[in-house]
Amino acid sequence: MRTALTARQRFWWTVIAVVVIVFALFPVASIVATSFKSSSEINSGTFLPPHWSTENYQQILSSGGSAQTLFLSALRNSIGISLISTFVAVVLATVAAYAIARLDFPGKRIILTTALGVSIFPVVSLVTPLFNLWREIGLYDTWLGLIIPYLSLTLPISIWTLAAFFRQIPWELEQAAEVDGATPWQAFRKAIVPLAAPGVFTTALIAFFIAWNDFVYGISLTSSDRARPVPAALAFFTGASYFEQPTGAISAAAVVVTIPVVILVILFQRQIVSGLTQGAVKG
Amino acid sequence: MTATTAQAHHKAKASDRAKAEARLGWYLAGPAFVVMLAVTAYPIVQAVYDSLFRDQLTDPSGRKFIGLRNYWVILTDPVWWQAFWTTILITVITVIAELILGFALAFVMHRAVRGLRGLLRTAILVPYGIITVVSAFAWFYAFDITSGYVNHWFDWVPGISPDLNWFASRGTSLFVIMASEVWKTTPFISLLLLAGLAQVPGDLEEAAEVDGATAWQRLMRVIIPNMKAAIMVAVLFRALDAFRIFDNVFIMTKGANGTEVLSLLAYRQSISQLQIGLGAAVSVLLFLCVVGICFIAIKLFKVDLAGARGES
Amino acid sequence: MGLVAPLAACASTGSGVPTLDWYINPDNGGQAKIAQQCSDASDGKYRIVTQLLPRDAASQREQLARRLAAHDSSIALMSLDPVVVPEFAEAGFLAPVPDDVASASTDGVAKGAVAASTWRDKIVALPFWANTQLLWYRKSVAKAAGLDMSKPVTWDQLIDAAKKTDKLLAVQGAKAESLTVWINALIASAGGEILTNPEASADDAKLGLDTPEGKAAATIMQKIGTSGVGGPGLPSEDEPASLTLFQGTNGSFMVNWPFVWTSTQTAVQSGSLDQSVLDDIGWAEYPQTTEGKQARPPFGGISLGVGAFTSHTDLAFDAAQCIVSPEHQAQYFISDGNPAASLKAYDDPKVQKAYPMYALIRKSLEDAAPRPQTPFYNQISTGLQRTWYPVNRIDPDTTPRTSSDFITAVLRGDRLL
Repeated sequence: MRTALTARQRFWWTVIAVVVIVFALFPVASIVATSFKSSSEINSGTFLPPHWSTENYQQILSSGGSAQTLFLSALRNSIGISLISTFVAVVLATVAAYAIARLDFPGKRIILTTALGVSIFPVVSLVTPLFNLWREIGLYDTWLGLIIPYLSLTLPISIWTLAAFFRQIPWELEQAAEVDGATPWQAFRKAIVPLAAPGVFTTALIAFFIAWNDFVYGISLTSSDRARPVPAALAFFTGASYFEQPTGAISAAAVVVTIPVVILVILFQRQIVSGLTQGAVKG
Repeated sequence: MTATTAQAHHKAKASDRAKAEARLGWYLAGPAFVVMLAVTAYPIVQAVYDSLFRDQLTDPSGRKFIGLRNYWVILTDPVWWQAFWTTILITVITVIAELILGFALAFVMHRAVRGLRGLLRTAILVPYGIITVVSAFAWFYAFDITSGYVNHWFDWVPGISPDLNWFASRGTSLFVIMASEVWKTTPFISLLLLAGLAQVPGDLEEAAEVDGATAWQRLMRVIIPNMKAAIMVAVLFRALDAFRIFDNVFIMTKGANGTEVLSLLAYRQSISQLQIGLGAAVSVLLFLCVVGICFIAIKLFKVDLAGARGES
Repeated sequence: MGLVAPLAACASTGSGVPTLDWYINPDNGGQAKIAQQCSDASDGKYRIVTQLLPRDAASQREQLARRLAAHDSSIALMSLDPVVVPEFAEAGFLAPVPDDVASASTDGVAKGAVAASTWRDKIVALPFWANTQLLWYRKSVAKAAGLDMSKPVTWDQLIDAAKKTDKLLAVQGAKAESLTVWINALIASAGGEILTNPEASADDAKLGLDTPEGKAAATIMQKIGTSGVGGPGLPSEDEPASLTLFQGTNGSFMVNWPFVWTSTQTAVQSGSLDQSVLDDIGWAEYPQTTEGKQARPPFGGISLGVGAFTSHTDLAFDAAQCIVSPEHQAQYFISDGNPAASLKAYDDPKVQKAYPMYALIRKSLEDAAPRPQTPFYNQISTGLQRTWYPVNRIDPDTTPRTSSDFITAVLRGDRLL
């Protein structure tokens, strides 16, 4: 049906592709360009920097840079907290989704409905009581104090996505392996794990994006370098001196935290799309 | 052994098995279930309790039980209603824009040849993966009167000049806020729609084409009706998400010039003003709004969430 | 054993020195320098580490209050805007100041600065630096308008002079704390007060807005807002924006803090501003609201508070006393342009050389009127910014009353902010 393209079609497809790519990447290009403007040219009013400068990157990355401690500690917090909460969510969700896909038990629907309910919960509604509780039990401004609420973001989507993945796994393989003399554990490991692993990995990617993106918990439940994640830290940047806007430093930091996203997207485009469309309920 | 006892035995065995399976199911799924409840149900119950008090954190001696008074104060205050309508406005406009753009993108990807499809998908996944706050800053700096270039690029458009301060009035601020929101979330909606498009039977479309239906007719009569479930689910989830908008508004205007939304109002009351009681009441009301939207969608528009997810 | 002991001792001095976290407002590095100096001077008793707070006073308050409400023991020292001192003291966020420290650190300090560090007749924080606004003017414009700047001038005279010379008046009309600063100075200069009973509870607060003094303030602001002398940038004009306007070709008169002097000098040195502009700048006492009545310029600055939950209270007070010593205040005045609270610092020849208007600053500090000293300051200030903004919509007949009613309702918990 769609084999060889005519010259005309080829032309229009090129135009469409260019339009889509510009739409998708223009704001990214915009902030990349801003991040290379020196402080004296930040207000140049042009898209590209008149002179390319790495001044802003030095400010956030080199030792002695005015925003270096703020940014690097935030980066460490963001990576650590997002990874841990992703890991916990995926482990919990994997066993739960296994039960949902494999076993027949009352309450299955309740669990799925709960996951759905949690995923549409307004995060801001949880912040006030959590803030209150956390400061009383000493979790305020700690990693654990963010990891726990992040589960409300990462766990529901992990359960949904994994349940959808697991439902497609041909579980008969397991029985076949058991018939062949494997123990249940061996059967599970040899026959099922290789089939389930890609789904688990995809789920972890999506959960990580969501944790990495959080802002509301980040600004509400932290107040220092100890636990403040990157999105919150961006909002707290101060300029090199009191009367300078932190535009350049924020742009540079924004670019740095966007790089891993772009790499993951390029490497795992296919997996992310399948994960999102299979069980995704939230972007 | 008679037949009946054998049957009874069998039955008992089966119910034992069922019991064991149920137990195992809950052992496996229970922890996740408990965690989900702990991180949401507990805080919202606590919020309901807190909302019955007048409680400012820096004035501990002034704390007292006041019943539903906080709710009364909020619901009779124009500040709440302004934020409420702004939130609705943002939700409606962004969802419509995302639906149209997302459909266009899905259509392009659906029709594209294999190699190109991969490229396009990679490109549109970038906005999906990017941090919302980063998106907000990117759009903000592009439009900002001092550091932006949009005014210089588009000064030939009537109404845009180098002196236009986008973030000084309501309409223009909301425009940039919604642009950032739409850009960031359209990819997600387009992927959901792409999955829906794939489910439209190709022969139906071809048959319509043979019958001489125009492209527009094919779209309206064949494609969209067959994707209705996917569209409804996408719309509902995006609507609920847009209703909770916070990051873009916080970064760009902090709610100035009539751009305050409900999430920001809740945040400002409890976190900035440290008015725990009022903040909790706003949070509870926001929660009820979300429940209300769900209820309307499910009862009125018969959106079958579970069904659309292959979950019946 | 003889070998191990000294090693152990060495290790303990290396890591055992208590660290005092000092939460500072962003500046040009002066506080970090003082922290270093005091750490060195303590001879290994403590080490001060500075932690940066956000840029604006409201976010600084928010950050600190949230941590303190969480009983955070890591906050040893805080640079506090005077307007949050009563709120923090009332909430029990500040460690009580020992009597000897209190008397030592308020000896020879400007009255306003002592008042700003006092709550319910007790010193609750140590005055560090004190700020006040002056009237800055372009000599050429004053001359062209025929205004004698050697005598106190009124706002009306300034507005007329700006109109006559077709120049712009630089004031802070942005929806920010600087707007409250302006309103407060205008009302206080007319002899009124925004809040008449600062120590009352929220329910009993009595506002002095709907008064002849409030009306006088609203009249001046409305005049500036509607006559065009404020310029098109007025709705978003904060202190730095005022300075830019004042330095430009339309500059005439400006009310602003003394940092503008250092800023202008730096701009001339870096070549972005002409020397002639600097030579054209004069200074005078804050304008009067009512002719013949002594003006009450705004008061600002920073007081040093010790966190109530720190485990090193004594050391923190030692460090605080070191930080606020008159020598450090003088040094900070010169390095960062923030005037000292201690009057002794003004005798320092280096200060006098860097700030030729030092005597005027010292006098203004004595005359200055603080903003309402109340635990509910934040609500009052936000309420004022809500009702007195934008400046061109102020109506002297209705604004003071609406504003008064609104803030009263907010304080009683009847309205949202």
